[in-house]
Amino acid sequence: MAELQRDTRNSNDKRDSIQTNSNQEPKKPKKRSFSQRQRNMASGYMFISPFYLLFAVFGVFPILFSFYLAFFRWDGLGDMEFVGFNNFNIIFNDPLFWKSLYNTIMIGLMGTAPQLLAAILLAFALNSVLIRFKSVFRLAIFLPYVTSIVAVAIVFSVIFSNQDSGLVNTVLGVFGIDPITWTRSEWGTKAAIATMIFWRWVGYNTIIYLAGMQSIPNDLYEAAKIDGATLRQQIWHITIPMLKPFIIFTVFTATIGALQIFAEPHIFQGRAGRPEGMSVVLYLYRDAFGSNFFGTASATAIVLFFIIIIFSSLNLYFANRIGRSKKVGVK
Amino acid sequence: MKKYGLMAALLALTVAAAGCGDNNTNDTAGNTNDNANANDNDAALADNEDVNEEDITSLGDEDADVELSFWLFGATGYPELAEEYIEENPNVSITFQEIEMGDHHNNLFTALSAGSGAPDLAAIEVSELDSYKSAEDRFVNLYDFGAEDIKDDYLDWVWENGESVEGDFLFGLPTDIGPTVMFYRTDVFEEAGLPSEPEEVEELISTWDEYREVAQTILDETGKPMADNPETVFNAKRDQAPQAYFNENDELILDDEPYVREAFFETSEMIEDGYVDNFGMWTPEWGGGMADGDFATLLAPAWMQGVIKGNAPDATEWRVAAMPEGGGNWGGSYVTIPEQSEFQQEAYDFMTWLLAPEQQLKAFENMGLFPSTPEVYDMPEFQDYSDEYFGGQNTAEVFAQSALEGEHVHKGPQYGDVNSEILAGLDNVFDGFDPEEEWEDVLNRVEQRTSR
Repeated sequence: MAELQRDTRNSNDKRDSIQTNSNQEPKKPKKRSFSQRQRNMASGYMFISPFYLLFAVFGVFPILFSFYLAFFRWDGLGDMEFVGFNNFNIIFNDPLFWKSLYNTIMIGLMGTAPQLLAAILLAFALNSVLIRFKSVFRLAIFLPYVTSIVAVAIVFSVIFSNQDSGLVNTVLGVFGIDPITWTRSEWGTKAAIATMIFWRWVGYNTIIYLAGMQSIPNDLYEAAKIDGATLRQQIWHITIPMLKPFIIFTVFTATIGALQIFAEPHIFQGRAGRPEGMSVVLYLYRDAFGSNFFGTASATAIVLFFIIIIFSSLNLYFANRIGRSKKVGVK
Repeated sequence: MKKYGLMAALLALTVAAAGCGDNNTNDTAGNTNDNANANDNDAALADNEDVNEEDITSLGDEDADVELSFWLFGATGYPELAEEYIEENPNVSITFQEIEMGDHHNNLFTALSAGSGAPDLAAIEVSELDSYKSAEDRFVNLYDFGAEDIKDDYLDWVWENGESVEGDFLFGLPTDIGPTVMFYRTDVFEEAGLPSEPEEVEELISTWDEYREVAQTILDETGKPMADNPETVFNAKRDQAPQAYFNENDELILDDEPYVREAFFETSEMIEDGYVDNFGMWTPEWGGGMADGDFATLLAPAWMQGVIKGNAPDATEWRVAAMPEGGGNWGGSYVTIPEQSEFQQEAYDFMTWLLAPEQQLKAFENMGLFPSTPEVYDMPEFQDYSDEYFGGQNTAEVFAQSALEGEHVHKGPQYGDVNSEILAGLDNVFDGFDPEEEWEDVLNRVEQRTSR
């Protein structure tokens, strides 16, 4: 990822060099020739430029513009009015914003923590010698990832229907539990959305862990077995420490993904949305594209940006610490 | 050193993720809009599920001098109608783009905001219209083209919706409207031992008190609810009132005027009495309920007849009666000319032709768009209209009666936001929360949401 940053920086140099190239070549061809190295560089940058040009237009510009917009009041059609930090003031004083932050974190925890745990166990099972038809299982477990979020959300809305005759409510009824209004109750909504996230992403993480496990040399397990280690000890002292980089990666992506939950609650609770399932992204989406308050929506986006940085840093810090104590032993 | 590397990586990752996030959000927003709006379509240009894909129709000569583009949503049948116009005006060609309602308004909003890419003619749904009214400079004032002359062809209250608050700027000409009526099931009424012919039902239920009495009878005799969900009941009462959520200065009047509060609390009472069920609008259960007769009445606008026919194609029990205490309006659209248009005069000429009474009658016959021109109501085709689906009843007459009772209601740009907060409150009442507390919550949420 550090490479990406370096590349972005270089892409500016590249544009300069291309410009000098095109400005000067037609005028005085061959008078001032470029070294072979420079020419290679220029053509290299030209080959990668399509992505960066598109990224500049559709990625960098919107990001910068939303930083700018956060300090203005704008309905999308009329004039922009500078309001300083008032947009931040408004959202910080809105209980629904805090509620949406709380929802995002809760749904994130409910959706990702059990999911990463399950993914490790599933990957371990898929990696073990005991299971037959491994490719079939690997494919089956990865399949949910290729489905569209929208389709997932629609199917799950039917499963988690509010009606007594809904699938989940019927099953609950067998156990004597009263039907739950899934789209409108505080924990019902969160549970349903967390289930969608779990279902869709568990395969993706399993495959990543599986790849990680396959890179662990078998000698380690054999040595452990000779020393009389149990299965649990093998997982705890070999698999988990060796998987550390993979765990860091998945926790990273899962955290960022969880903080950007959008489509699932948006479809599950309908266009208008409700407080129980309102995520931060949904909150800002509703502000911008439901009510045409682009200023407060941009301000929310910026707050979310910093929240993601904070959470990712915390992740990194803890993930590093957990691994470290083990590593000392290994080394 | 390693730490810094990691921190740099972290930062890069966050930036990249935020970048991707932006793209993803836009992506999914596009996708979900399709769905969410199909689920929540207030359009009178009744959303037809076949029209979810982009649909482009070009009429006329490719080399025509005047090339008009027309953005529409829903199933209007306008391209077929316009063929006649093209034959009479060979110098004009028209390209129609018909897409899903939510996408249509997003595209139009973006094109107007960006200042380029807008069509020569664009339809705008009535509940969306007010959020465009702050941008008079982006539209053509139809009064500059002499729209005053055809004003009398249209219902007054419909016409006024298309004007600015001051009344000196006309944004659009009305297409169709959604006069509200009471659809009901004869079988449920009969099972409860009640009369079921439209005239008898209108006599039986002419006030909301009578509606509730009948609801009690039906609940006692059949165990079925009177209405499908809180939303339709609340809308029915809201649309009868002369004022909605904002006054003409766009100040919130939710708690200052009695209408909305009354509608909220009366709906709440009906919910608590068990007259109103929980078949959420546009859900599969709701459609199933229409087919099976799970509720006795459906308080809805004229365009709902298409939805009923679609969900319950084999049902023969639906009939139409007047709304208790008079009709209102729910939905309808306007055709506007964005300022960017190159052919403003030609666009105006075509538009006045398309929305003239003769063509509105055809649009009604073809696609069921209910005319906004009262002249049509007196035409013989309209007077002798009968709908086999509704037992040969002249439904057009019932809708027309409701349309004539309509009134101009100022909606305001935040109308939709306030509406969804109120409906959320009513859903909570259905889940057993106290109506008084919910009303307070609604007021707080609306205050938060509109003051920014």
